[in-house]
Amino acid sequence: MSALGHYLEEEGIPTVAIALVRPQAERTRPPRALWVPFELGRPFGPPSDTAFQKQVVLAALRLLEAKAGGPVLLVDFPEDDPREAPDPRWRPPIEGKRAGEPLADGLIAEVTALVASYARSRAERGRTTVGLSGLTPAAAAEYAAAWLRSAPPESPVADLSPILCLRFAVDDLKAYALEAAITSSTKPSSRQLGDWLWNESSTGAAIHALRRQLVDSADDRAKLIATMFLVPALRQTPGG
Amino acid sequence: MRLDKLPAAQAERYATLECPDFATTPWAAGPPLARRRVAIVSSAGLVVRGERPFRGREADYRVIPGATPPDQLLCSHISINFDRTGFQEDWNVIFPLDRLRELAAEGTIGSGAATHYSFMGATDPREMEGAARQVAARLKQDDVDAVLLPPV
Repeated sequence: MSALGHYLEEEGIPTVAIALVRPQAERTRPPRALWVPFELGRPFGPPSDTAFQKQVVLAALRLLEAKAGGPVLLVDFPEDDPREAPDPRWRPPIEGKRAGEPLADGLIAEVTALVASYARSRAERGRTTVGLSGLTPAAAAEYAAAWLRSAPPESPVADLSPILCLRFAVDDLKAYALEAAITSSTKPSSRQLGDWLWNESSTGAAIHALRRQLVDSADDRAKLIATMFLVPALRQTPGG
Repeated sequence: MRLDKLPAAQAERYATLECPDFATTPWAAGPPLARRRVAIVSSAGLVVRGERPFRGREADYRVIPGATPPDQLLCSHISINFDRTGFQEDWNVIFPLDRLRELAAEGTIGSGAATHYSFMGATDPREMEGAARQVAARLKQDDVDAVLLPPV
């Protein structure tokens, strides 16, 4: 976030930004920035690659010691993310879409079918990123399924409106399915994992259906969330 | 990100995203890296589990204690148009706290900060100015003299 560098540096604190979108750093002109060629969401490059990540962190921090070049120093990191390449050894956690089932039932069945894969993956990584909604994956699936089956259900979370709870529940369902697909023995690309989620899985099919159902909603808030916050822009067209 | 790998319309959108104009660029100096205290100020909408996730383009920030275990960090950035599988596999892809700890242990940096911070990067940065200056005051109280600013 290049702009924050201006404010912190004005207060006397030296900063170095990581820039993913080079033209933004060129225009915002933070004091120091390291442009990295990695995909959005990966400012330090490949997961589970300590040596590579350390190179990126150090390349950025070394700019703090640069004597020349200021007050604007924009340097390019030279290496691409090796994890952008697909791993042919990777396999989806479950094969095939559950064709023929109603999407709501398919979602619930898939969340159940992924329990063992998710538990294995979570134990391997020692962590999970599921948790924004506060619902368990099974409860998140039931809640999303209720939206697919009928009029908007009551929110099961006291502090969240029904549609905001749906957004966070969908975030959690995506994280749950993708984490179930991550293994320590393979190195899938984000594209491989996304292709499975959005084009093959019942979870992806159900989220696509929620988007289609709500995108023409008379409720502006539901329409906004359906348009922007359920299915990534590049996955909104078939085969995307 | 290599914009030339994206569809032309999308690349154009990223390349022309509105950014604030700054008339001048400040430049603060510090000691050699081996004596610096380093904090991460992320714009990935990170929250410690149990705290209120970012819900929209909010201009406030969240505190991430330096002792936060990996299992306790969630990403609540509102955009869904960036990869999350890297972070799901390894939090250091977005928040390289393990790398900072290693660099501190081997003496390459002086130390990691007691506290790190996160903003929600889809918010107009001009709205974050007040919160950013608050964070600066807190960083100074922690003797931080190097800040790593990762986006997402």
